[in-house]
Amino acid sequence: MADDLTTGAEITWCPGCGNFGIFNAFKKAIGQLEKQGVGRDHLFMVAGIGQHAKIFDYAGISGFYGLHGRSMATAQGVKLANPDLKVIDFVGDGDAMGEGLEHLLFAAKRNADITVVMHDNGIYALTTGQRSPLSEKGYRGPSTPRGSEEEPFNPLTLLLEAGATFVARSYSGNIDHLTEMMVQAVQHRGFSFLDVLQVCVTFNNKYDLYNEKVTVMDEVPGSVDEAAALARQKDRLPIGIFYQADKTPHHRALYGSHHPLVKRLSRKKRLEKIQRMLRSM
Amino acid sequence: MKDDLMTFLVGGEAGHGVKKAGSVAAGIFAGMGRNIFQMDDYQSLIRGGHNFSVISTAMDEITSHYMKADLSVALDAGSYRMHREHLAEDGIMVFNSDQVKDGQGLGIPMTAEANKYARPDLILGVGAVVALACGLGWDREKTGQVIGEVYPGGAEDNVAYAGRIYGLVEGRLKGRFALRSGERRRTVLSGNQAIGLGALAAGLDTYLAYPMTPASPLLHFLAEQAEEFGIVVMHPESEVAVANIAVGAAAAGARTMVGTSGGGLALMDEALSLAGMTETPLLCILGSRPGPATGVPTYTEQGDLKFAMNKGHGEYPRIVASPGHIEEAYRLAAQLLDLAWQFQTPAIMITEKHLAESRMTVELDLKEAVWAGALMHREGTYGRYRDAEEGISPLLFPPSAEIIKWNSYEHDQSGITTERAETVARMHDKRFRKGESLVRRMKEMRTVNVYGQSGPLIFTYGSSTMSVLEALRLLGADARVVQPIYLEPLPVWDLEKYLGSAPVVVEQSRAGQFASLLREKLDMEPAAVIRRYDGRPFEPAELARQIEEVI
Repeated sequence: MADDLTTGAEITWCPGCGNFGIFNAFKKAIGQLEKQGVGRDHLFMVAGIGQHAKIFDYAGISGFYGLHGRSMATAQGVKLANPDLKVIDFVGDGDAMGEGLEHLLFAAKRNADITVVMHDNGIYALTTGQRSPLSEKGYRGPSTPRGSEEEPFNPLTLLLEAGATFVARSYSGNIDHLTEMMVQAVQHRGFSFLDVLQVCVTFNNKYDLYNEKVTVMDEVPGSVDEAAALARQKDRLPIGIFYQADKTPHHRALYGSHHPLVKRLSRKKRLEKIQRMLRSM
Repeated sequence: MKDDLMTFLVGGEAGHGVKKAGSVAAGIFAGMGRNIFQMDDYQSLIRGGHNFSVISTAMDEITSHYMKADLSVALDAGSYRMHREHLAEDGIMVFNSDQVKDGQGLGIPMTAEANKYARPDLILGVGAVVALACGLGWDREKTGQVIGEVYPGGAEDNVAYAGRIYGLVEGRLKGRFALRSGERRRTVLSGNQAIGLGALAAGLDTYLAYPMTPASPLLHFLAEQAEEFGIVVMHPESEVAVANIAVGAAAAGARTMVGTSGGGLALMDEALSLAGMTETPLLCILGSRPGPATGVPTYTEQGDLKFAMNKGHGEYPRIVASPGHIEEAYRLAAQLLDLAWQFQTPAIMITEKHLAESRMTVELDLKEAVWAGALMHREGTYGRYRDAEEGISPLLFPPSAEIIKWNSYEHDQSGITTERAETVARMHDKRFRKGESLVRRMKEMRTVNVYGQSGPLIFTYGSSTMSVLEALRLLGADARVVQPIYLEPLPVWDLEKYLGSAPVVVEQSRAGQFASLLREKLDMEPAAVIRRYDGRPFEPAELARQIEEVI
C-alpha cells in the first residue's frame, strides 16, 4: 500500500477486515475530491477511538486523533474555527452511538458542516468483541455471555429524525460505491452521515449476510418517510443516499460569511473597542 | 474606621428589580467619582425568595462591600426582617409599610403606590433608587430625569412612580448623606466582564460554554460582544461538548476559552487531559461556588482549589492561577491565554462567585493585557511533536502542505501512535521539559502580590484577598498580606522567604485547602486559619475582628 496517502505506520487490522475497504475508498475519494478542486491540504480528518480509528495513523492527511465518543465534538470545533476546511470524522458504532451519541445527534440537529463516516461493525472490536449500541438482540460477547438483552438503534432513522441533511449507507465490500458516497458526503454543504456496513472477521463476520442482502438503490427516496421505511428493511439492505437537503450550515447560521481566523481583529482594534466600551461602563 | 464610607442596601423578592437597583446605585456613586464595591446576594430562582444588593462607596480605595447599611431599602417584609440587624449606627431603614406594620424607620406604602402602574413588581426597585437619590440631596427634577434614563422601559410610569416616592421620603431623607464627589466618573466592572475583556484583548477567537452559575454572565457578555469583536461564541449541548469542541477549535488555530463552575469542570476533565496529551492550548475559567454536587449555586466558596490543580487524568504540565482583584482578573485572563499558547497546555483560572459576579470601580491600563503568542513552525518537514530543547514543538495550522497530526494516544514526533517504551518515556520527558520552561518563564513574571511592609503575616488568595485588604483598612493595622496569583506551579521561588513561617491564613474552604497547600509546599504551619464556608463572602468588619483575635 505504498502510495503518497499512506504514512507507513504498521497496519494492525486483521487480514480481511472491513477497515481496509474503508481506507482504500478514502484514498480513492481523496483523489476524486482533488479532481473536483478540493485540495488534500484542505481536508482535515478526525477520529474517535476504536479499531476504525487506526485509519488516522495510516492516512497521510492532517488531523486530530480525539477521544472515544468525543471526536464529533472536536470535528465541529475545527470547522467552527476554520470554515475553509473539509472535516471528515471517522467514528465507530460503539464510539458514535454509545459514548458520543449526544454529539452525533447535536451535530445533526445544528447541521454542523462535517462528515461523519461510521465504521458500523456492530461490536466493540478493539476491546475484544463486546456488544455495541448496534448489536442485534441476543448478541453474545464477553460482556453479554447470555446474549444482549437490548434492541439495537437504527442509525439511519435516528439521524433522519435528528435533522441530518445528508444520510447515506454504504458497504466496505463495495469500494466503488463507498468512494462515491464519501465524495458526495464531503461535498455536501451541511451535516453528512455515512453509515458503512463493515464486517469484523474476528468477532462479527457478516460477509455472507451482506453479500446476499446489500443492494444499491437506484435513486434517492422522495421523502423522509420513504427513506425511513427503506432504512428499516431487514430482508434486504439498501445502500446509497437515503436523504439529502439543502439547509444553512451551522457555522454560517452562527456567524454568516465571517472567517474567525482570517478576519481576526488586531490587538490595536480590539483595545480601541474595549476603550470605547469602558466609557459606558 | 474609613472616612466617608457609605453603604446602601436594597432587598426584595426576585422580580422586584433588586439587582438593577443595586447597579443603578453603583452607577450613581461611580458617576460622582467615588469608588464602589457591589455584592449581589441572590438565590437560584426566578421569582420570590430573597435577593439583596449591597453597595459600599468611599473616596479612597474599597475592595469589599460592608453589611452595615447607612441606607437600607426593604421592598418586602422578608427584607425588613433580615436587614434590620444590618443597619449602621446612624443608618435608616426605608421599608414597605404595606407589608410591615409598626416597623422602625421610614415606612412608605410602596405596594399601594406601585399597584397604580402596569408593572407593579418591577417598579419597586425604582423606589429604592429614588430613596438614595433623595438621600444624596438630588432634587425631584434631577431624580426624575435620571430615572427616565436608567429605566427606559416604561419610562413614563417609572418617572411618575419616582415622583410619588420622592414626595414620601423627602421629609426624612433629603440630603441626609452628604458625600464628597471626585473629579471624574469611574468605570464599574464585574469580574466576569474583566475576564472577558482581558481575553478579548489577548486575542480570543472562540468562547464556548454551557450555562452554569457563576460563569454564565461571562457567556452572556461574550455572546453580546461576538459580532463586534469578530469572535465565535457558542453554547453547545454539554460541558463535555464544550471542552472537546474547544480542543478542536484550538487545533485549527483559534485562541479558545471555556467557562464553567465545578460540576461543569468535572465534565471537562477528560478533555483537559486530552489537551494535556495533544498539547492543545486551552484556557478554562472556573467560577467556583459551594459544592459538592449542585451545592449552593448562586453563592461563593473556594472549595475547588485542589480539584482545579489536579484536573485531567495522567501527568502533564498544568497552569492554575486565581485573581485577587477585578483589575487583576483582566490582566490574568490575558496572561493565562498567552501561557496556554506559549506552552501548549491547558490553563485554569479559578475565580469565585464573589469576584466573578461582584462589581467594583477599576482603573484598567488596557495595555497590561498581553497578546497571546505562540512558537510557530517556519520551514522544513513538519512534526507536530518535534522534540525541541525547551520541550515546545512549533505549531502549524491547516491548510498546509505539511501533515499535521494531533494525537490523544502517546505518539512519536510526527504524531503517529506509538507504544514503544523509549518513545513513551521520551515524550513524557518532552512534556515535562515544557513544564520546566514554564517555570523559567514564570520566574520573570509577577506571580505573587505582597501588600504591606511590616507586621503580622497573612496568606490568602483569590477573592478572599479583597476581603482581607478591606478588613485591614478598617483595622488600620499593619500587616504583610501575601497573595500567590499562581497556585500551580506554586511560585516557591518567590515564596522562599516565608519557608517555615507561621502565618494567618484566610480562605473560604471548610477543609482549609489553601493552608494545606502551604503546609505541603512551603513547610508552613499556619498560626491560625480563618475560614468561612457558609456560601457568603467575608464581611470586612467581621473579618477584621477575627484577624484581630489571632494577630
